Amino acid sequence: MEQLESAFNEVLKTKEGKSILLELDAESYLKIIIKTIQKLQKKGLSGVYISIQRPFKNISSLLKKQGIDLNKLIFIDIASAVSKETQENNKGCVHISSKLDVDDLVRTIYTSLDQMKGKKFILIDSLTTFALHKPISETLRFSEFLMRQVKERKDLVLILNVAKDFSQKKFIQDVVAHADKTIAVKA
Amino acid sequence: MIDTKKLAKEFNNLGEGAIVLIETAASKILEVHLAAVKWLSDKKYTQIILSTSRPCKNLLNLYQKNNIDTNKIVMVCSVCQEKEKKEQKNSKVIHLQSSSSLTEIAISLSKCMESMKDKKFVFIDSINTLLIHNEPNTLAKFIHSILTKMRTNNVSGLLISLEAETDKEVRAEIAQLCDKIMCDKIVKV
Repeated sequence: MEQLESAFNEVLKTKEGKSILLELDAESYLKIIIKTIQKLQKKGLSGVYISIQRPFKNISSLLKKQGIDLNKLIFIDIASAVSKETQENNKGCVHISSKLDVDDLVRTIYTSLDQMKGKKFILIDSLTTFALHKPISETLRFSEFLMRQVKERKDLVLILNVAKDFSQKKFIQDVVAHADKTIAVKA
Repeated sequence: MIDTKKLAKEFNNLGEGAIVLIETAASKILEVHLAAVKWLSDKKYTQIILSTSRPCKNLLNLYQKNNIDTNKIVMVCSVCQEKEKKEQKNSKVIHLQSSSSLTEIAISLSKCMESMKDKKFVFIDSINTLLIHNEPNTLAKFIHSILTKMRTNNVSGLLISLEAETDKEVRAEIAQLCDKIMCDKIVKV
């Protein structure tokens, strides 16, 4: 976790938009995501949480229990959309269509970011879970588009998460090649 | 032998709505299954058990021999392939065509979850048998969808898998979706 702390310090010092790929142990996946958000909020960042793994209702209550300020987060609930679950209206959550159109998703992310002030982050909870629902080509288009966009901004950090066991997968290696930093995080 | 007290202790520490993956040796999978069902039954959970490895009749007999109350058990069985949907003893059994009918399995599990009001627990036994009948990516997508449904409805869950036998990537995909992973080391004597 110290590695993560110093990486955030380094990235924020540059005052440039950066993308960071985190390789996480499957056993402590959520725990590390929680720590990541806690660290980013402590540094004064607000963020957009792209929730592919868990529905909003579940992830928001887990994060709240861990003391995370939900007023500084906007969730995009992809898990409910792809599972065709009824989506509850909540001001902290944006719902999307079950088609999971990449262009729509990118637009939704940027509209959500515009509602926030100061330094911001985008956190994608799992690229491989995203790839279960979209072809690899679309998953790569999504991640590469975001990584390109982030480079053009000064106030934005993009965090892409992936389970450690996928790190040698070809499409993840493509993401590694485009990311500014890759960190293997242990709990 | 597994340590049932240790297993019960681990279960007692789980929060409401938690989803657990248990990885165990093939020789202990039945023992773990019975210990888990016994604990859930003692805690008065309504259990929705997806059985893809053993026929429901065999499991229900084993439950009775192990003094497990079957009144609150709904068995979704993809092994027998019996056409008639019928009640067996004190529990309800839903027969499915096969373990490769993931849509049919998903619909049955969803209906069970929606129709029951008590505190519920979905038990999937096992990931490995489902992997014999389905493509890894299709199965991972199915598990993601079921777990999302469970989380939306605040239903707890248990998935059983064989230790070191599951495809590395499928294992990682499923494990990262769970709240806790228990391995043999935790539960063996």
